[in-house]
Amino acid sequence: MNNSKPSKTSGVFGWFDQRLPISATWRSQVSRYPAPKNFNLWYFFGSLAMLVLVMQLATGLFLAIHYQPNPHLAYWSVLRGIQRDSRWGWLIRDMHVVGASAFFLLVYLHMYRAVMYGSYKKPRELLWLVGIFIYLALAAEAFLGYLLPWGQMSYWGSAVVTNFVTALPVIGKPIATWMRGSFVVDLPTLNRFFVFHVFLMPMLLLALVLVHLIALHQVGSNNPDGIEIHENVNESGWPRDGIPFHPYYTVKDLFGVSVFFVVFFWFVFYKPAGWGLLLDKLNYTPANILHTPADIHPLWFFLPFYAMLRGVPDKLYGIMAFGGSFVLLAFLPLLDRNPIRSIRYRSKLYKFNVLMMAASFLWLGWIAHGFATEHNMVYGLHVTEVFYATFLVLPFFNRQRSVRAKVLWLVLAEAAVWLIDVWMYSIHAHGWDLMLLTDWIPTLYLLVVFGSALAFPALTRDAAKLPERLTAGGIFH
Amino acid sequence: MTQKNSPRRHRPVLALAAVLLAACGAAWGSVASTVPPLRPITVNLQDKAALRNGALYTVHMCVACHSLQGVRYSSLPKVLGLSRAQFLATIGTNGHHYHDTITSNMPAAMMEAYVKIAPPDLTVIAQRRSAAWLYTYLTSFYVDPSRPTGVNNTVRYNVAMPDVFASMQGLQKPVVVQGLRFGSPAKVAIGVEPLTQGSMTKAQFDQTARDIVAFLYAVAHPHQQERARLGPWILGLFLALSVLTYLLYKLYWRRVITSEERWWRVGR
Ligand code: HEM
Repeated sequence: MNNSKPSKTSGVFGWFDQRLPISATWRSQVSRYPAPKNFNLWYFFGSLAMLVLVMQLATGLFLAIHYQPNPHLAYWSVLRGIQRDSRWGWLIRDMHVVGASAFFLLVYLHMYRAVMYGSYKKPRELLWLVGIFIYLALAAEAFLGYLLPWGQMSYWGSAVVTNFVTALPVIGKPIATWMRGSFVVDLPTLNRFFVFHVFLMPMLLLALVLVHLIALHQVGSNNPDGIEIHENVNESGWPRDGIPFHPYYTVKDLFGVSVFFVVFFWFVFYKPAGWGLLLDKLNYTPANILHTPADIHPLWFFLPFYAMLRGVPDKLYGIMAFGGSFVLLAFLPLLDRNPIRSIRYRSKLYKFNVLMMAASFLWLGWIAHGFATEHNMVYGLHVTEVFYATFLVLPFFNRQRSVRAKVLWLVLAEAAVWLIDVWMYSIHAHGWDLMLLTDWIPTLYLLVVFGSALAFPALTRDAAKLPERLTAGGIFH
Repeated sequence: MTQKNSPRRHRPVLALAAVLLAACGAAWGSVASTVPPLRPITVNLQDKAALRNGALYTVHMCVACHSLQGVRYSSLPKVLGLSRAQFLATIGTNGHHYHDTITSNMPAAMMEAYVKIAPPDLTVIAQRRSAAWLYTYLTSFYVDPSRPTGVNNTVRYNVAMPDVFASMQGLQKPVVVQGLRFGSPAKVAIGVEPLTQGSMTKAQFDQTARDIVAFLYAVAHPHQQERARLGPWILGLFLALSVLTYLLYKLYWRRVITSEERWWRVGR
């Protein structure tokens, strides 16, 4: 297959095609790009994230035209200028607001898919790493955008986050002042957040997504079976389990887009604020610099991280716990070195652990959804420990472990949790009883993992043999 | 049991029970207050007479102190089912330009001197509060000599706004119960009873309040009818597309399933 030649050398298209690799790129990257033929539901989210990215750029353009980055004008430029005075402004704004949440939902599902099917393993480590940088850029983009309508939660959310930065030693205060362009969140902050939100971060996101796709096409897609299709090719070098991306996955993704839009527009038309989850109720009130809200919290997609920040009784360590969760994600390819990629062929306990990753993350979100009570803070701490543990126990599953190793893992892990608790207690006396009462969370988790590994060794056994060819299965296959 | 200075625990069973209790309690904070019941109300955006009555009171009474910066006078005729001329003749613009936003003529500084805080914008309030809350608020001022204004409100404790409805509604006294305020025991007003007679009967005043709420609700949710009209079409469009693209997908993929290894030669 020679993919590099132009398909036509005459006519207008031929003229262009000889000077720009249009048809060659189309062939090598789309119409003769082999994709595994067993993608399931989980493989819709990447293309949908791309769709939402484009949608955010398009709606954002129109919003930026009418928006005024000035504390005196910002709030009404959104709530009146955009929503009422501009034709279709309400629809565009609601699409942008719902789009932001949709983006995060899709990206979380997309990441979890990569975790389930081991898509971060060789040769896709860089693809995974680029993904994490995309997430970070996306998080920055959302944080910056949230200030723009200059509502109460916008203002105080930015105030809380920039205040957290001051906890960094030595550089903290200068960085916070530099971020705000002032000692408090004010006009300079709004101006730079606006420019970063509409210019810097979108450029960065686009560039990162491009690199993401290039890296993807360099190594090819993984799939729900985690079996490399390129290792089983026919006489002409085409993977036996591969199908051309176009038309097979283009029609399939089109179906995904249609279904996605049904859900998306249901929210846009009927629940644009999403029960206060997509757009905080308090943000209907203009920012009031003299009135701190009783309960400041971020939108739903940052809640788990907020629980970590709140749960650790020291700002600096809180930031470290928050930042550390991204380090953990980045190190995933090093933590999980089991040669089997897909969760389908991993042990029962490993499956449980991957489930617990999601469950502890959701639980953290639920905790941060509540008030910053002593209870919620202590729970936040202990569930953060579980979230961390779900990553740190991964090396345990790299191969079969002896009884001695299992006992050692259990004892050391449990000791680590207790050491951390004592350490945290020495920073802030949460009350021993409260600490002890909630310590069952990491303890129970560790007991389930290592205890059942000891009691029922079969639970730690991966599939003895992987299938040679891709198997069908999953929804929409 | 979960407080800092509680005695050391010795009984594991109790501890276990406490663990479970704490787990349940954790999510539900501890800043409870006794909440007065809200008065039910249904807003009918088609009842233009009610909206017009509400607009009249809002623009001429409320706007003495409050603004509605989200709303332009020129957007009202459509909401109220009036022509521009009819609107200007019956409700008017308080001497403002027709396309101006509804802003109070009262200078903010004067308001701060009068009631200590500047009255909030009513577009903001009406977007944030439910119709039932607004209705209850408007009808639940009661006499409270401990307040500088002489009145308080059941749903907005220690309200700064004076009882501007006193001449219409008459004065009211609170119905007090023993309850909680921010977690501590306190006497809480959960309703009101008439104290003096105003210029309106109770039914008349309640109707007036409902009209004001309907108007505020209408201007706070300006696109609700557009949403309701457009939504089904857009959803229908994408539902239909979902079906079509599903069939298309199945059509293409039949080949993938049936002819295992021959299909890829297509297009070569
Ligand atoms: C703007 C956000 C993102 C976009 C537009 C995007 C786009 C895509 C697309 C189109 C694919 C191929 C289709 C698919 O496998 O679903 C893909 C694959 C992948 N992405 Fe992303 N992505 C984004 C964010 C992320 C993030 C945050 C991560 C991880 C931290 C990530 C990790 C991966 C991995 C590992 C694959 C390969 C999966 C496999 O082959 O099994 N992506 N991405």
